Order: sequence, then C-alpha cells, then structure tokens
Amino acid sequence: MLWLSLQQRIPIFRIARFVGLGHYAFLAGDARFWNAVRVTLTFTLVSVALELALGLAVALALQRQGAGRRLALSLLLLAWALPSVVTAKLFEWLYHPSAGLVNVLLGGHAVNWLGDPRLALPALIAADVWRTMPFVALLCYARLLTIPPEVYEAARVDGAGRLAMLGSITLPLLRSVLLIALLFRTLDALRAFDLMYVLTGGGPANATETLTVYAYRSLFQTLQLGFGAALGVVIFALVMAVAWGYLAALRREGVAA
Amino acid sequence: MSRGAALLLVLAALAGCAGPPPDPAPATIVFKHAKILGPLDPIPGLLREFERRHPGVTVRSEPLTWTSDEQHQFFVINLDGGSPAFDVLLLDVIWVPEFAQAGWLLDLSPWVTREELAPHFPAAVAAATWGGRVWGLPWNMNVGVLYYRSDLLARRGLGPPRTWEELVEQVALIRAAERDPKLDGVLWQGKQYEGLVVNTLEHFWGEGTTLLGDDDRVLPDPGRATAALAFMRGLIDRGVSPGWVTAGDEELTRRPFGDGRAIFVRSWPYALDLFEAPGSPVRGKVGIAALPGHPGGAAGIGATGGFHLAVNRRTRHPDAAVALVRFLAGEHAQRALTAPGVALYPTREALYQDADAVRAHPGMPRFHDLALAAHPRPVTPYYLMMSTAVQPEFSAALVGVKRPERAIADAGRSLRHMLENLR
Repeated sequence: MLWLSLQQRIPIFRIARFVGLGHYAFLAGDARFWNAVRVTLTFTLVSVALELALGLAVALALQRQGAGRRLALSLLLLAWALPSVVTAKLFEWLYHPSAGLVNVLLGGHAVNWLGDPRLALPALIAADVWRTMPFVALLCYARLLTIPPEVYEAARVDGAGRLAMLGSITLPLLRSVLLIALLFRTLDALRAFDLMYVLTGGGPANATETLTVYAYRSLFQTLQLGFGAALGVVIFALVMAVAWGYLAALRREGVAA
Repeated sequence: MSRGAALLLVLAALAGCAGPPPDPAPATIVFKHAKILGPLDPIPGLLREFERRHPGVTVRSEPLTWTSDEQHQFFVINLDGGSPAFDVLLLDVIWVPEFAQAGWLLDLSPWVTREELAPHFPAAVAAATWGGRVWGLPWNMNVGVLYYRSDLLARRGLGPPRTWEELVEQVALIRAAERDPKLDGVLWQGKQYEGLVVNTLEHFWGEGTTLLGDDDRVLPDPGRATAALAFMRGLIDRGVSPGWVTAGDEELTRRPFGDGRAIFVRSWPYALDLFEAPGSPVRGKVGIAALPGHPGGAAGIGATGGFHLAVNRRTRHPDAAVALVRFLAGEHAQRALTAPGVALYPTREALYQDADAVRAHPGMPRFHDLALAAHPRPVTPYYLMMSTAVQPEFSAALVGVKRPERAIADAGRSLRHMLENLR
C-alpha cells in the first residue's frame, strides 16, 4: 500500500507512473484533507468521551438495579448488536425533519438535523453514542460484578459515604477496563465510516466527511488508487500512533504483558 | 458494511488479492444486476424463458445490493482484477463510458447494428455509445419530472408552471388559500450525493448552460451556473422549499409528497406508481409535468438515468452473453417491465403507446414526451470523478457555507485541476 501511495495509478485511464511523495505533498495543502482530519478528530474525541461517561453511568446504575436488570441488559445488547447500516437507517427516520421522532419529541420543530452543517456532526455523534455506549457499559458492568461485596462492606464499616466508595474503590478498580474500552472505541471512531456514508454522504458541504469517507471516495468512486492509498497510509499511521500510545499507557498499568 | 470491513476492503483491493472466484460450468452465464425493488421482479421469469429458447445455456442471476455506490464498487474491484466470474452486467448509465474506457466491457458493435438501437430513446442510445462504438444495450429508462397536486392547482384555476418563477408564485397563492402551515412548496434532492448533481444539472440546462461544454470545457458559462445555484439556494431562503431538502434524497422527498404534505416534488417515474397505489392519500390527485425552466433558458429538460446491459470483456461465452443482452433489451423482454406491479420503465419508445402498458401505468404517454426532451448527464469516462468533485461545492452553496459564485469558481478550479492530471 505504501508503494502504491507513491504512484499515480488510475486504471480507467491506464495511468500508472511514479510520483514519489507527490500525493503527500498535495495532501499537505489540500483543504478537503485538513477538513476531514478535523472532522475525524472532533468525532473521535467527543463521541468517545460521551460513550465512556454514559457507559460508566449505565454500568453503575445496573449494579444498583434489582428487578429488570436482565431486560436492561438485553436492550443494551440489542443496540450494540444491530448492524451499523441498520442503525444508520433507523436514525435516518428518527432524524427525519417533518416526521422523525426526535423532532416530534422536541415539540414539532422542524430541526434540520442532517441538512445543517452545524448540526449534522453532532447528530451523527449522538447516533454513534447510542450505538456503542452499551459496549462500554457491559465491559464496566462485567468488571463491577467481580468486585467482592465484602470490599464495600468493609468501607461502609469504616464510615465511607457513597461518593467516597465510588472515588476510592469502584473507579480505581475500573481503571484498566476503562482504558481498554477507550482503546477499542478510539480506534473504531478514528475509522468512522458507515454512519456518515449512509446518513449524510459526508455532507452537507463536507461537514461530516471523515478521512475514511474521503479515502473511500478516492478509491472506489473515482478509482484514484494511488491517491486513495496515500490517504489509507495516513489513516493507518494515525491509528497506529494512537494504538501505540494507549498500549504504552496500558503497559504502565500492568494490564498488557 | 462495518467500519472494519470497509478498511479491510481497502486493504484487500490495494494488495490486489481480489482473486477470481471458482470458474462457472461451461455454457453457464452469470448475470450480475441490481436487486429489483418493488412488488414484482420480472428478471427470473425472463431468464427461464431465455433458457427455453437457448437449449444448453443456463443463466444464473446474482443480485447485488440496490445502492448504486456498492454496485459500482463491486464491479470496479472485480473487473479491474480481470475476473471472469460474471458475464453480463446491469450498469448505471453513467458508468458505461468509464468502464468502456477502462477496457472492461466487450465492444458490442460487431453484433449490434445502429438499426437495432433505433427503437430506444435517443438519450438512452447516446449513453450506450461512446467513441463511436456500442458498449451496452438500454434496458430501463429514468427521467426527471415534476409532479404536482392537480387538485390544489385546479382549485385556483392554475395549470402546471412553465418557469420556476411561476412555480414560486403558485406556491405562494396555494399556501395562502389553503392556510396549512404544514404544506410545503416544492421538494427536491439536495443531499450531498449524485442526486444533487442531477438536480443542479437540470437547473443549469434550464438556465441554458451545462457542466461540461461541447468543447470539453468545464462550466463554460460560470455566470449562468451561478444564477442556477443561487436560485436553488433562494428556494430554501424564500421558504418555497423546506430547509431539510439539503439532506433530502429520492425517498425522503417522495414520502412527504405522497402523504399530501407538499404541492410539488421533483422525482422519477417510479414515484407515480407509489402515488397512485391503492390507499395512497394523493391517489388520483397527481399531475405530471416537465421540469420548469428559467427565463432565457430552455424549458422542461429533465435528466435521464436508468440501467444498461453490458458484457464483461473477460467472458468465456461471448456469443451466449451477447444473446442474453439482446434478448433482455428486446421488445418481448422490455414488455415485461410494463406489467402491473413492476416500477421500471422500458427504453423502447413504442411500448409507451401500448394499450396494456398504459392501462397498468397511466403516466406512460406523458413520460414518453418528457423522456424524448430529456438530456443525459455528461457522457464521459470522467463523469463520476466530476460528480464527486462538485458535490461538496454545490452542497456548500445550498447550506449557505459558500456564496454561489464562490462555489462555482471552486468547483471549476477543482474540476480543471482533476482533468489536467488525467490528460
């Protein structure tokens, strides 16, 4: 792929020539590329932060909940298990400006969720959070189940309040699980593709075009294999850098060998 | 497709490992086509009939997903890899010159004479031929039309609008009289995708200009192109179209009109079958008109679309494959498209006057006239590249991120840059 990214290769026009770092030089000055970088990073930071916070909150709520826990767990699994294209289609109708449930719940305002450049990215982030928050919640909940109740008993005997227990027992014990969730979710979010692809096509005005959508368009719609490969290399480098950073952090935690 | 799968596909394609699947048995023709939407799929019956007429030939039909992007992706990966795994393809008209230029299609000229193409709409024939050779046979026809609520217009004594300004006046008049704040004016497709380019091209033609001039110059008249784009933005600014058309595709705009919540919608012929279906709130209240024009430009030019039948150049059975293509494009097979319950319109003009066809699809005589006046999108191997390059610019003008003149200037610059790199 690295080799391909150094070529101009467009099979339709039988163009195959070496261009060296030409594609990368073009990307450095390509406004569309930098917009895609900004969209990708914004999407990743905001959606992962929300997913972790909400997932943790849901896990803690599940821990306290008695009846209905099985039902809640199945509902969470359902949201997580839906194929992402199905999720995207579901949100297409939820966000429908005149008949969508979201606008009906908001009192019938015709909010233009997917057609307004300021709202489209937040709307996609909300859909992504809905879809992947259960993953974080289930991971945290599984870890919570392994904390022996005696630990909390002992703390209660020592006169610790709820908040104190959360801060000095629950969260420290969840730390490594949260780091793993963070790693998985970040790597996934950096490659975000189907929600944008189905719901907005990267629009309006490229407000939701991520790096993978840009790469897809270059590779499969316009068949600029060399240029698309250069974008692929950039995505790969980005994902590797983030993964390496996390793995280093995890190793410090003593989680990864 | 999951995100992971998308990336894997990228990697797989780049590694060139889209290897040929197992060989089909001798005299088995594989037909790859888009899944046919609608209550009735005419393809299986037609294929069995072809087999009866050609003893020894078996046809296996392999449907692809219905999204055009995914079909394109499938064909590109497999044809570029030289795969002989399928023989006959159903291609969106805008891909024909692209695939022909790439050398992926069998040149049908030795089999198909000009006379054989004559019964099809001229726009369909134009899209099937490129560089003086025949690369595909037309199968179904699509044309952009304006649907209007004939009951609402008749109540005010109005006929269908001939210019866009007239349409704007009619919307104001009807809305004031109906006193229904939920009744939208005109709906069209403004999402950042191929449909936006189609809608914009129709406004360009209405203004008397185009995207790719006869001398291969891009945006030959930026002034008129700007006026067209500014008018589209103006429809939203003036409240004639709801703001959400900037996210609207065919189905999202077809449904509100079908529910009786819009006076006009720009759509394709398939929509009429749904508007006139039993139980539809607008049944019997829908008129069909040519798209309006702009002052000084031509009136009533819709864009054509549809699918063409083509043969994979790597086929092991060229004669049988060509026979299948000619059978499916023939009058007998195209008549099957006009059966009740099939929402596909044929490319053979004569069928539009056929009594049985018109009984099943009353819009056919009108669609015939509109398809005759229609234009194909630029017939060039660069079309898909051009379309993806201008989509973000047109979208930016519609949502107000860029002024129309800026969007047209930027679109022109990126098109010229792209074409220079290819020549």
